Amino acid sequence: MKPGNSRWRIIRRRARQNPLMVVGLLVCLAWVLISLGADHLAPADPLRQSVMERLQAPSAKYPFGTDQLGRDVLSRVLYGGRTSLPAGLLVIVSATFVGTLFGALAGYVGGLWDELLMRFTEIFMAFPIIILAMAIAAALGPSVNNAVIAMSIVWWPNYARVVRSLVISVKSNEYVTSARAIGASPARILFVTVLPNCLAPALVMATLDIGNAILIFAGLSFLGLGPEPSSPEWGRMVSDGIDHYDQWWLSTFPGIAIFTVVMALNFVGDGLRDLADPRTRKAVR
Amino acid sequence: MSLHQFLARRLVLMIPLLIGISLVAFIISNAIPADPTAANLGERAAADPKIVAAFREKWGLDEPLHVQYLTYLSNLLKGDMGTSIRSRRPVSEELGRFLPATIELATFGILVSLVAGVIFGVISAVWRNRPIDFIVRILSLIGVSAPVFWLALIGLILLYLRWDLVPGPGRLDPKLRPPPGVTGLYTVDSLLAGDWRTLRNALEHLILPSLVLGAYSAGLITRITRSSMLEVLSMEYMTTARSKGLREWTVITRHGLRNALMPVVTIIGLSYGNLLSGAVLTETIFAWEGIGRYAYNAARTLDFPVLMGVSMLIAIIFVLMNLIVDILYYWLDPRLRQA
Amino acid sequence: MRRFLVLLVVVSLGITFAGTAAAQGEEKVLVVGLSEDYKSLDPSRAYEPGGSLIHVSVYDTLVTFPSDSVGEILPNLAASWDISDDGLVYTFTLRDDVVFSNGDPLTAEDVVFSFNRMKNLKGNPSFLADTIASVEATDDLTFVMTLNQPDPAILAKLIFDAFSVLNADEVRANGGTDAPDAAETDTAEPWLMNHSAGTGPYIVESYEPTVQTVLVRNPNYWGEPAYFDRIIIRNLPETSTQKLALEAGDIDIAMDVIADQVPSFESNPDIEVFSTQSDTLIFLLCNQDPAIGGPVSNPLVQKAIRYAVNYEELRFLSGKGANNPAAMVPIGFGGALDPSEGLTRDLDMARSLLAEAGYPNGFEINFEYPDWNYIGTDFGIVAQKVQADLAEVGIKATLVPQEFQTSLDAYRSGRQGFSLWLWNPDYQDTLDYVEFLPGGVVGNRANWTDANADPEILALRDAVKVETDAATRNELFREIQLYEQEKGPFVPLFQPGVHFAFRSDLQGFNYNSQWRVDLTLLYR
Repeated sequence: MKPGNSRWRIIRRRARQNPLMVVGLLVCLAWVLISLGADHLAPADPLRQSVMERLQAPSAKYPFGTDQLGRDVLSRVLYGGRTSLPAGLLVIVSATFVGTLFGALAGYVGGLWDELLMRFTEIFMAFPIIILAMAIAAALGPSVNNAVIAMSIVWWPNYARVVRSLVISVKSNEYVTSARAIGASPARILFVTVLPNCLAPALVMATLDIGNAILIFAGLSFLGLGPEPSSPEWGRMVSDGIDHYDQWWLSTFPGIAIFTVVMALNFVGDGLRDLADPRTRKAVR
Repeated sequence: MSLHQFLARRLVLMIPLLIGISLVAFIISNAIPADPTAANLGERAAADPKIVAAFREKWGLDEPLHVQYLTYLSNLLKGDMGTSIRSRRPVSEELGRFLPATIELATFGILVSLVAGVIFGVISAVWRNRPIDFIVRILSLIGVSAPVFWLALIGLILLYLRWDLVPGPGRLDPKLRPPPGVTGLYTVDSLLAGDWRTLRNALEHLILPSLVLGAYSAGLITRITRSSMLEVLSMEYMTTARSKGLREWTVITRHGLRNALMPVVTIIGLSYGNLLSGAVLTETIFAWEGIGRYAYNAARTLDFPVLMGVSMLIAIIFVLMNLIVDILYYWLDPRLRQA
Repeated sequence: MRRFLVLLVVVSLGITFAGTAAAQGEEKVLVVGLSEDYKSLDPSRAYEPGGSLIHVSVYDTLVTFPSDSVGEILPNLAASWDISDDGLVYTFTLRDDVVFSNGDPLTAEDVVFSFNRMKNLKGNPSFLADTIASVEATDDLTFVMTLNQPDPAILAKLIFDAFSVLNADEVRANGGTDAPDAAETDTAEPWLMNHSAGTGPYIVESYEPTVQTVLVRNPNYWGEPAYFDRIIIRNLPETSTQKLALEAGDIDIAMDVIADQVPSFESNPDIEVFSTQSDTLIFLLCNQDPAIGGPVSNPLVQKAIRYAVNYEELRFLSGKGANNPAAMVPIGFGGALDPSEGLTRDLDMARSLLAEAGYPNGFEINFEYPDWNYIGTDFGIVAQKVQADLAEVGIKATLVPQEFQTSLDAYRSGRQGFSLWLWNPDYQDTLDYVEFLPGGVVGNRANWTDANADPEILALRDAVKVETDAATRNELFREIQLYEQEKGPFVPLFQPGVHFAFRSDLQGFNYNSQWRVDLTLLYR
């Protein structure tokens, strides 16, 4: 029997145990493909206006209808992932990176540094994300980059705290003590021995968090603190619907797009957590 | 450690935290590149150096930054949070006016999410892996995945516009006068005044916003309750309780739920932040005159005394919430008392 | 616990019976939905259309317009007036039966105080007093105003609510002053935001910025008392919220109806719609200062933009009642060019102008605008339309939406490079559109000054300012508008229609373009 066969069997068994995760993965994959292939998939240029055909209800020509400037809502929804998905991912990646760095240092070095960092992160945790991000985005001026920067500034302390506590618990393990006994340098111990053992839980947390980040980004964008108004971005498009309740299609479809992406990411995150540690199914985030 | 020692320790730790928070708020407010001078004097007045100088002196804009910060801190200790540039009123007075609306909304939101979350969570855990569990789990995922601003819009379109089940945006029908302000909470004030009509109207106006606002936390609480219930249900004392011949439902509620609620208490403290973020968006859509909308307007108008005031207030509430959670923990968990 | 349950039962019973026990003899309340644009309720400082709506209910001016037109000047606080032969001295005789809301009688001293205070506050409307040299009270009821040059539009200017007459004693008692240094020493504004000191049918009861303004009937009003006991002006920034609230009967008037909503209102028997042509001009501003405007400070680029914009589609976008003025004087003002003489889109012309200006491949520019809605014009939508039009000739405009007040202040202080704005006439005379010329209010905002303008347009401007003969005046205005089509930092986009919707049980609806609706005349 080839080893590949048994691996496939494991994957299939896992998939059967966790159908939601498979669905989630497929939906995520679909959105990634749609975003990448929007140029080919979208029936129209998402920026092309035909004012004379504005605010048309969904029809064969415009399956999702048209907006106030006669742009094709379907095409705009398909292009929307190009902003929201990378933005959410970028926030989490930069937050994980910075958070891991500071958290690991604090956890490993301990003492005064640890105390200082923890007090510092507490300050950030005391502000609700969106209000702090709103203030920062307003100060820097609205744009995708500034929204991402603002969110990252608010986000990383979470990761610093988690990684710190992971490092502290790994630090006391026997293999770390023995690495220290054979004279490995502190940097080597931290980066080669300790950190890799903390990564899995941090990554699971990050996956669960991408959906959250996309939600907050959409919220900022909805408030006008994200991308430029004409750009096809989901949160922004939902806000177009605010002045036009009768034209329900303006906000419904982009909303469904955000919703399906975030839901799929949550399916995947839940599944990953179960795989990583089947015992602790506590969802403390 | 006695409760007094415990509290004293927590309160002492709050001081550096609050100073840090005020510093961060101050730095962000001053990072705003816009010059409030031009924004608040007309073009003719802004061209007159004498008027500009008077304005800058009045708002302390000429002092070095650290002096401005120290002035702010010392005023803060006196309860003076400065004056809004936009409305020219004391920030503390405005916060006092807008806070009750948010508290009312957030309280109902938390109530909705607690009731729905705990009930769904218990159901889901008791009938684990049955169809109902599956449905509840998907519902809870919907709760944490749907953008709150979108739920609000869809809710308004369907429940208000199409089916006319709930009233429109606002805290009261615009024709009604707010009840005499004692607490600022319309439900409580109208109750105190015995004004049933206003009370009913205020409650009706709370339905949709609190459902929308509570959806995310409800999903979260369902998930926590379920997993913590599952853990508790497998404990030995549950088997013991059952063997004593108690009815299954009594076992679950008396012995199971009580022990499963610990993590739920934590999550209420944590989800408070989510709730306030949600409040910004919900209040914007429902024309709810609360802190969220106030903060949003302040951010847009670069009204920095207000931004700082809101940040401070929210941070203080957050710190207090955590203190309450800690005290609850202290009571619920005997081990802490021995530590 | 049991006590709580009892309470709960009592409460729910109460709620059930409450519906039937609706209070009788209820006060009569008018609720207005408005996208709030004012930041001050001090009439001598305020300069926003929404403020006029309130001030006309609370304050009075010496003269006024009929409620439904701006074609005729009527006496108001002044029973009559005389104009000297040289057109420089105006003598007003005040009515003797007017009292302020606190019971004080109106005297000429109050008028002197109000005019001086408005001028010396150096606020946004102060320029309206530029032609006034001095004012004095010769006796209790005689007010004399001397001009420094003949001003054919002065009576129309006096109708603007900046010339509202305030109770001098009351305002002084609350920190007000009319001294020359009033701009620094007057501290009455916070008081005037929550109170009023006028002679109008209503008084300001409270103003909660971004929430609502509440007016109550003035018990001491000298004229016919108004029908409603109380007027609540609710800030409903979203037009859709206004529509929902009006349909539900929660508000009586929606002030910001957009053209898209008109069909749905018209099919609703409970609601009536009033539509007319507005005199609002929506336009683009290109800053003449190269340091601020960059490429758009180039006259050739400015002309190219005038040819790149799709006027017809903008008019369609604006909806029913909209029109395209040919230049910066809106249709309806004496001397305005006929719309048929207007610019039409010519992309080839625009491209060749850009090439001539040295931008064959276009350029990138920030396009600033206030993120708001005014009489149904959604600035965000118009900006996106202009952005798409400009993109066709290679001009890549990045939209920079700004909060209304922030944007307004940047615009007023001339710091915007390329922006989208609107102009409402300060007074009902074509002369107001001289403000779009070098050195005028809007001209200055584009840094178009005597120093950098053509002598040709300066000569036209100076001539039209003092011309009193109607035919010559119209000819001068015609030349000015033809010049504006060729040169100058402005692009006239369109003149939107204006729509109001109100519950059909509301009577007495009236509209004039100065203050829009006189709320004090409404009844049920």
